Amino acid sequence: MPVVERVGDVPGTRPEEGAATVRRTALGVIAALAVLTICTLVMLALRPHLSVATAALVLVVPVLVGVAIGGFTAGATTAAVGFLVYDWFFIPPYGTLTVGAAQNWAALAVYVVVVLIVARLVHIEQGARDAAAFREEAIRRLFVVSETLIGERTLKELLDLVATTVHDTFRTRWVAVLLPVDGELTVSATAGKPLDDDDRAAALGSSGATQALALVAEHRDISRVALTALQRPVGQLVVAGAQLVDYERQLLGTFANQAALAIEQSQLRERAMRTEMLEAVDAWRAALVGAVSHDLRTPLASIKAAVSTLRAEGVELSEQDHDILLETIEDQGDHLARLVANLLDMARLESGTLRLRQEPHAVLELVDAAMASVGSALGSHVVAIQVPHELPLVDVDLVLIAQVLANLLSNAAQHSPDGSTITVAAAEQPGEVALSVSDQGPGVPEEDREGIFLMIDRHAGSGRAGLGLAISTAFVQAHGERLWVEDAPGGGATFTFTVPVAQLGEVAT
Amino acid sequence: MSGERVLVVDDDRALLRALTIGLAARGYDVTTARTGTDGVVQASLAQPDVVVLDLSLPDIDGVEVCGRIREFSEVPIVILSALGSEGRKVEALDRGADDYVTKPFGMAELEARLRVLLRRSRAVGPASPAEVTVGPLSCDLVHRMATVDGQAMRLTAKEFDLLAFLARHAGKVCTHQMILREVWGATYSSEANYLRVYAHRLRKKLGDHGSMLVTHSGIGYELTCEVPQASSRSS
Repeated sequence: MPVVERVGDVPGTRPEEGAATVRRTALGVIAALAVLTICTLVMLALRPHLSVATAALVLVVPVLVGVAIGGFTAGATTAAVGFLVYDWFFIPPYGTLTVGAAQNWAALAVYVVVVLIVARLVHIEQGARDAAAFREEAIRRLFVVSETLIGERTLKELLDLVATTVHDTFRTRWVAVLLPVDGELTVSATAGKPLDDDDRAAALGSSGATQALALVAEHRDISRVALTALQRPVGQLVVAGAQLVDYERQLLGTFANQAALAIEQSQLRERAMRTEMLEAVDAWRAALVGAVSHDLRTPLASIKAAVSTLRAEGVELSEQDHDILLETIEDQGDHLARLVANLLDMARLESGTLRLRQEPHAVLELVDAAMASVGSALGSHVVAIQVPHELPLVDVDLVLIAQVLANLLSNAAQHSPDGSTITVAAAEQPGEVALSVSDQGPGVPEEDREGIFLMIDRHAGSGRAGLGLAISTAFVQAHGERLWVEDAPGGGATFTFTVPVAQLGEVAT
Repeated sequence: MSGERVLVVDDDRALLRALTIGLAARGYDVTTARTGTDGVVQASLAQPDVVVLDLSLPDIDGVEVCGRIREFSEVPIVILSALGSEGRKVEALDRGADDYVTKPFGMAELEARLRVLLRRSRAVGPASPAEVTVGPLSCDLVHRMATVDGQAMRLTAKEFDLLAFLARHAGKVCTHQMILREVWGATYSSEANYLRVYAHRLRKKLGDHGSMLVTHSGIGYELTCEVPQASSRSS
């Protein structure tokens, strides 16, 4: 009866289960002895009227109680005590272990044999029930886990789940999941006892190569199961310390196939995600280079055109034109310098070498700094500033946020008719202040509102896309805030960004 | 310079200002437009002799502006390209632009380009002249004979076709695709390596004047009677 033995005393049981068995046996013995005491006391009172055989029959009861509650060990213990009690109290001469008549010997022998057989039978029946329950539980657990294997889970989480489930279900010493990394099988997840170097060597086996993916014969107490997804080898599952019987091996095999499919799917998903990310980074980089080259060349083109006219021989310029050209050169030079500084700041922010210098500033202070920085790029536009005086101070890096405002202002000037009004407004919201720049230009169509911040398509949003917005977004995001665009009331575009309110408590004003 | 009308289409105020002053100082009569739509309108209203067109405009793409102007006018168009990418230039040339200047550029270079285009558009006579002359080169289209410095050139039929095509469009950058389509036929539009071989042979047969045939790397070829400064054309 290998199954019963395997389950009844559970070789390789975990400590807490061993303790449970001991507790159960003790409980059985105590209950049986209690029943035995009661039976003995009752029968002692009635002894003159009882036959020797009747006493034996009654004394079977405590043994049955012991087996039922505490298992075979408890039953056998009770039987031994019952034997002594029977002999001492109920086989004449009473009060001694001496057995008198031959028929009394027979009664004693029958008692022992019956009790042992009954205990054994009850115990076997119970073991079979336990085994069935265990099997059912194992199947149920595997079924539940199999269903959850396929889902949005990282590969690492998935492998851990597979290892843990196998470990819990089959009560192993340890479980290892091996996956090929660069053609070599590598321990990718484990469960149970942490693997030492010997375990690791045992898990990897002698070959360590992927061709060993087929089911390998058990070595010592280590079983290997191939993880194959529709014939494609995915990896290997190594189970240590569990003597697997046939049905368990079948269960493990089924589970391994499920796990293999899930692992393969997860690997494909991770690969796809990585590719997507790399592509996005590449596209962004290409867009950045394109935007940098465009935005740097534009001011250079003006400078070169102006200088080449100023230096040309035989070309007559009025005093006024001469001044305008010089002014153009200076403005564009400033613009270029600002752009380079912004680019450097953006790069430093992204590499983490630029720390924000957040300090409390008044919103008007930011607007003034921006207006000073944007200079002549505003051309003949009128700037209306609508900043309420009761606004709280904001906690920002003055240089960066002034740049954001300046970029938005020059963007607005570039994309709205000469002489039109650009409005700078600020409004308090819970915990933050929203700053906005509105123009009276053509606005940004709905479908371009994301694209213009990404530099991918220079023509998105009527050519608004470019370094300025990408840099502004980076600066605002560095403050943990956001920048977006919407329609301005009465046409045109409104670019809005938020800044955090300075946490000062009450400040005297 | 006698007040020839130039239309400059560019959305960058600073560049527009510098170009306006620079071109006006050189005697041109300058009109400006800051959007593509306005550019197309000005091209028809102001009747410019030549158009200077930036490819990146706020409303419609510069290439598209080229196409729209070509629907009603043969006015020469010079493209300003800041992208440095050959693809956009080729696109614009295919849509009817005549030449390009890469930003940043000097005014002398731009003016040289404008002068060539203006002279060419003035020189265009009847729709299909019997003979085309470009500097020392002369192509007799009726007898399919070419002479350089009065010496007859020995050309194969295709070589003559190519030379005649470039001569008829002298001063204009012809893209690979244009040349292949016109000289070899519609199915050859992507065999740019043919051209390299033929251009090499033509240059040899032009002898001392081989440099008349200018290669615009990645874009096309141009036959010119005045060899421009090499440094300013490369980008």
